[in-house]
Order: sequence, then C-alpha cells, then structure tokens
Amino acid sequence: MIPQAPQRSRRNSRMAAGLALAVLFLAGCTAEQQRGFMPGHDAGQVTNQTERITNFWVGSWSVLVLVGLMIWGLTIWCAIAYRRRKTDTGFPIQLRYHVPLELMFTLLPVVMVLTLFYFTQRDVGEIERHANEPDMVVEVVGKQWSWDFNYVSEDVHEPAGVQSFATGEEGAEESLPVLYLPVDQNVEIRLESRDVVHSFWVVDFLYKKDMVPGFTNSFQVTPTLEGTYSGKCAELCGEFHSDMLFNLEVVSQEEFDAHMQQLEDDGYTGQLGVDLNRNQEEWSMREAHEEAGPRVREEADQ
Amino acid sequence: MSTQTPVSTTTRSAAPDRFVKSGSTGLGKQIFNVLTTTDHKMIGILYMSLAFAFFAFGGLLALGIRAELWEPGLQVVVSKDQYNQLFTMHGTIMLLMFGTPLFNGFANFLVPLQIGAVDMAFPRLNMFALWLTGFGSVIAVSGFLTPQGAASFGWTAYAPLSDTTFTPGLGGDLWVFGLALQGFGTILGSVNIITTIITMRMPGMTMFRMPIFTWNALITGVLVLMAFPPLASALLALGADRRFEANIFNPENGGPILWQHLFWFFGHPEVYVLALPFFGIVTEIIPAFSRKPIFGYKTLVGATIAIAALSVTVWAHHMYTLGTVMLEFFAFMTMLIAVPTGVKFFNWIGTMWRGSITFETPMLFTLGFLTTFIFGGLTGVILSTPVLDFHIQDTYFVVAHFHYVMAGTVVFGMFAGFYFWWPKMFGHKLSESIGKVHFWLLTIGFHMTFLIQHWLGVIGAPRRYVNYLAEDNFDWLNQVSTVGAFIMGASTLPFLLNVVLTHIRTEKIEVDDPWGFGASLEWATSCPPPRHNFHSLPRIRSERPAFDLHHPEVAAQDHMLEQEPAVNVRTN
Repeated sequence: MIPQAPQRSRRNSRMAAGLALAVLFLAGCTAEQQRGFMPGHDAGQVTNQTERITNFWVGSWSVLVLVGLMIWGLTIWCAIAYRRRKTDTGFPIQLRYHVPLELMFTLLPVVMVLTLFYFTQRDVGEIERHANEPDMVVEVVGKQWSWDFNYVSEDVHEPAGVQSFATGEEGAEESLPVLYLPVDQNVEIRLESRDVVHSFWVVDFLYKKDMVPGFTNSFQVTPTLEGTYSGKCAELCGEFHSDMLFNLEVVSQEEFDAHMQQLEDDGYTGQLGVDLNRNQEEWSMREAHEEAGPRVREEADQ
Repeated sequence: MSTQTPVSTTTRSAAPDRFVKSGSTGLGKQIFNVLTTTDHKMIGILYMSLAFAFFAFGGLLALGIRAELWEPGLQVVVSKDQYNQLFTMHGTIMLLMFGTPLFNGFANFLVPLQIGAVDMAFPRLNMFALWLTGFGSVIAVSGFLTPQGAASFGWTAYAPLSDTTFTPGLGGDLWVFGLALQGFGTILGSVNIITTIITMRMPGMTMFRMPIFTWNALITGVLVLMAFPPLASALLALGADRRFEANIFNPENGGPILWQHLFWFFGHPEVYVLALPFFGIVTEIIPAFSRKPIFGYKTLVGATIAIAALSVTVWAHHMYTLGTVMLEFFAFMTMLIAVPTGVKFFNWIGTMWRGSITFETPMLFTLGFLTTFIFGGLTGVILSTPVLDFHIQDTYFVVAHFHYVMAGTVVFGMFAGFYFWWPKMFGHKLSESIGKVHFWLLTIGFHMTFLIQHWLGVIGAPRRYVNYLAEDNFDWLNQVSTVGAFIMGASTLPFLLNVVLTHIRTEKIEVDDPWGFGASLEWATSCPPPRHNFHSLPRIRSERPAFDLHHPEVAAQDHMLEQEPAVNVRTN
C-alpha cells in the first residue's frame, strides 16, 4: 500500500485545486447566479423561509447537475468512442449482464433519494409549521378575478379588489389591489375562495398555496424585508386569470398601524367574508350612497 | 441480409398478397377496404395517421399560444377566453389524441409481428376501438365550431371551473363526452393488446424472450386499465354535473378536491402510458445500431414494472399546494421513481458501451431522446420535493419540465420509431439526408423553446397566463421561446417532404431487415409483411430471434461460450 501514498496526496491536492476553482467560480458569479436565479434581494432575506428554500434549491441543483453531466458525458462518450469506423468488421463483445455494476447503479440512486428525502422532511416541517399564537391573522378571499383582503385581528378590510384592466400596459402594476403586512411579525394567512380554485402566490416568498371553495387553507410566514412584492393567482380560474394580480407591501409596524387606522377611518370596518357573492362591491357602494336605491335584487341573487 | 434461412423455412412465396389486393383496383374499393379493415398492421397505420394529424393540429395551436406571448398585450387572440381554449385543446390533443393513439398505433403494428402472431386477439374489437378513438377525438375537438368555442378550463378541467356555472357553452360538453368516448377506445385497445401478448405468442416465445417494446406495451396496457376507467367515470360524473345538475363536484361536498384526486389518479399514470411505449421503441433501436444485445434485459423489464407500479402511487404530487395531501408519502414515492428510471438510463448506456455504433436517423433521434429526457428527469427530481414545488408549481418551470419529459419521449421516440419501422410499414426507407436535417431542426427548435422556460418559471411566470405585466420583464425570454417554437414547427416540413419524396423516388425494399442488425421477429418477414405476417417463422432461441437468424455465427458463439468474447472483435 506504500506506493499509493503519493497518489493519494496528489489526489488531495487535485481536490483542493478543484475546490479552489469552484470557490473562484462562485465568487465570480453575481448574487443572482449564486441563488440559482431564484428571486431574491441583495438587501436580505424576504421571509424567514426564503433562505432555507434557496439553499435547498442550490444544493439540489449542484448534485443534479453533476448527475446530468455524468449521464450526458457517458452518452456522448459512447457516441464518439464507440462509433463504428470504416475499418471495423465483425461484432463487439455481446455482453448481456454485469450484476455488480447493475447493483451499483440501483443502490447509488437509492442512497441519493434517501438523502433528498431526509432534507425534504426537515425543511417541509419548518415551512409548514403552524405556531399556536401567530402575531396577527389575515384572511384572503379569492374571487373571479381578484382578491379581498381582511385584517382579522384588526377587524378591518381593504377595499374590495378589482382585476387589472391594463395588464400588459405601462403602469398597470400600480393599479393593483394591495395587501399590507408588518415586517418581522409572524402572520397567519387564511385562504378562502368564493367561486373556483385559485392559488395565492407571492413570487418572492417562494411559496404558494391553493384557495379552494368550501375549504379553508392557511400558512404562516414572517416577512423580514420591507418592500413591494408582486402577487399572482397561480391556478387557472377562468377568462381573466392573468389579470388576477396584487401587490404586497411589507412595511414597518408604525406604517402598518397607521394604514389600519386609515382603513377604519374610511369606514372599511368588518370583513368581506367568503359568503358574499360577487356583487358585493356594488352593494356596499349602494349602502354608502342611499340615493342609489335599496338593494332590491338581493333576494333574487341569493 | 437474409441470405441465411432456418432449416424449417419453406421456399418463400413471391406471389402478390391475395388477402389485401384481391380485386381492389378502384379507388372507392380501396377506401372501403381501409375503412373496414381488421388487419392489425393497417389499423396500426391508421392509428398513427390519426395521431399525426392531431399532432399537427395541436402543434398549430401551440404556435398560436407562443405567438400570443411574444410581448405584453393581446396580439393573436381576440379574447382571453380564446387563449384558454388554445392551451386547453393543445394539452388535450397532445396527450389524449396524439400520444395515446400513437401508443396504440405502434403497439398494433408491432406487437403481433414481434411475438409471431397472425393478428391481434380480437381483430374486430380492434377496429371498434380505433373508431371510438377517432370519433371521440373529433367530437372533443369540434367544440371549436360552436359559437362559444371549445373547452377553456384547461386539460385538467378542475372543478368547479369546469362546471356550467363558470364555463357554460357546448364546447365543454363536447370535450367531456368526446373524451369519455375516446377513453373507452383506449381501454378496449389495451384489453386487446394484453390479451394478444398473453395468449398469442408463438412456440418458444417465452415472456423473457419477448422484445422490450412488447414488454412495455404489455405494461402500458395494464396501466391504461388502471388509469382510464377512473377518468371515464370522473368525466361521466362531470358530464352529469354539467347536463343534469348532479352536484357531484359541488364545493359544498368537497367536490374540487375529489375531482383533483380522480383526475390525477388518471393523470399521473397517463404520463407513463405515454412514456413507456417510447422507452420500448428506443430500447429496440439502440441495440440494432450498437450491434450488441440489450444490456441488462431482465433488469430493464424489472425497472419498467417498477416504474408502472410506482406511477399509480404518486398522483398527489400534482397537488402539493392543495394543503390536504400527505406530503411525505407522495414525495417519497415520487423520488423513488428516479431509481428505476436511472436504471433504464444505465442500461441504455450499457448497451452502447463498447458497441459499434452507427448514426442512422433512428439512432440520431434516439440519442436526441436520451439527452432530452435526462434533463426532464432532473427537473422532475427538483419538482418531487415540496420545498421547491411550492414555488415552481403551476409556473413555466413545470411547463418546461413536462415538455422535456413528454415531448422528449413521445416526439423524439415517435420519429425514431417512424424512421426505424418505415421500411417495415411501407417497404421504403426514408431518406437519411433529409432525416438528418429534420433531426437537427427539431432538436435546436425544441431546446430553444423549452430550456429558457425554466428561467421564466423560476423568476415568476405562471402558466396559462395570456398576458404579463410590462414590469415583469419576461419579453426577451418569451421571444426566444417563440422563435424556437416556430423552428420546431418548421421541422415537420422536411419530414413531410421526406415521406413524399421517399414514395416517389426510392426502390422497394426486398430484404427482410434493411438495417441489418434488427433483433425481434418483425425483421424476419418481408417489408411490408404479408396479410398474416409470416410465411415461415424461425426458431426462438434467445430474445433476438431475427438477429440469430441473420447472424448465426454470433448466435452460435453465444450458446457455446457463455461468458467468452464472441467473434472477431474490432479487427484492425
């Protein structure tokens, strides 16, 4: 075994060189590339979960890219090295089985799968964790083709959401309904739907959850970076699915409290519950302006 | 090639085939013969023609989708609902009217030939299944002719969006009942395939001597029997909801969740119904052009069975974000599929390893399949873990993933199979040079279209969006994808040209095996085969009877020296 010693040290130095190269390579990357093109911000993590998810993403891809390169490499190697040359005659060895090799390439993937499953279990548990006492509760009601945001703890709500009528034009983003959340507070988001299945997705949260009629979904998250984030409906919900957008404003606790007070002062108290039908905006307008007449069609609509 | 004949062979009749051509001189008579045929080869070709016609139509719809996404705003469609119709029918057509009938087409043509049978077990049921599939498909697509257009609730038809409250219109009804009808065609076709394989193998053709394509057709048939009856019942229930207000998928009794379970219990096995036959096709092609037997034949069969078994246990991985499924179980089962799939890859590579490979067009498409499918497999592993799926579910990442796995297997596999068996089907070999142009156009177009969609999805583009915000900055990514899609669309033209030129210009093939190294029994009969397939059958001594017949010196070595090197290995 003595002759192997220098070989091993050479291998070690090669590994060290490879590692150094990898570090150099990563250091040369932009922050976006280091995240594996996952959405994110240089200023910090957007929620208490995004770092976990991004690391999982980068780690999984690092292994999978190696696996992919190996299989592409073997395929291309076969195509080049074992091509039939003009001078070739006869047949190659008619090999049919190689049991140790086959066992190896069955068991190796099993080990990789178990590893992936271990990390999945660890992180899904954290992402789906429900604290008994969240700092605040927000109820989001999906409807064709917008959102109603209810601040349950504060018993106020945003004005009823209306779909974007200008998707694709400049400035459409600013006209979207807005959900406000205070920074660094653990918020429980309850998801409901009044009509069809929608899906609540804040892109930079790297998380989405479906809104199913007849069933209340929920998840908890702590936004950790102030800013404006875009939210989208991710489950096909009909003709104007692509206009079912919103903005999420993560603000300081003071700004959030001021906004809640503003909503209360403007009369947006109570909740726009799941039981309202899609004409409720028109009704609340009529209630606010009695000259518009009584709600004569209420019974017919129900 | 077929100078060697087995002892049992009698002199081959050179007389024209009296079963097909007797008296069929007039055009009307010929059309009548095709329409009333119970010959498995003609039915197979009809299935393939039907599938290819729908492939072309579905492809045109896809070009409409890609053109619409060129920039923000509406460019191609006049209403957003029309866009929803485009992707709904594109998905429905490609999966159920292109991929599935294509499986029936290849299986119909090849299975009886590969097991040495004269026809399918139930020839008239076979014809009935073909016409159910054909008429059902036409009914589902005919929604485009109705005033409100075709179905627009996505090929997944999630309740309650698919109810008449949210999607009124005849197009949805035609979709539901047309698919139910053509689903029965698929079920009956699979019953036929399974019965044929179980009962009609020739003497000596044991299960473990069957060609891998036949094995995969058998397992696919079993999967169809598992997956399509739930779809048929779910569709009929949805139809009852739509027409008779049955309230089966009413949200008040958990209908939306029930529909998703029923649909994906069909939907996930369905992707393997589409994939397995084409795994079988490439497994036939790789050995023929590597001049080697399949590496790990029994392992490969075991892997296919394992994939099929796992595929019915993973349906809820389409529903991770629903919040009501047991994430651990479905994530683990989904990840496990990577194991048998990996085994298949290593067996394919093992077959090529130290082979003597030539690159005829079928082999090129097979290599295209391998390089494409592996990438779809890798993104499948990414999607299998809920941690990452929560973000990329329902985005263009998923769109890219399933086009890599589905189009990678079905389209590349289909063309590999077409080029490989064209001589067997029609007695003419497609042009190699045009075939290579076709291959490279398709490959470049395909990767240009779908590779970039992974980035689109990760940075926040949801699927099924007709429009996007100017602030999203998706423009250039979408434009690259659209250019790629049109290159891919254009790649079909050389193929059609190839078909026409081949039948005008080339000589009829006189040998049994124009490729020279085919393994299974279809290469031991003429091109095209006679009405009842074989004038004589060789003895079956291994899993590649035609190869043994044409290269007896290699077969002899195999039997005498189990582990020793075969014949002259790469002299000079």
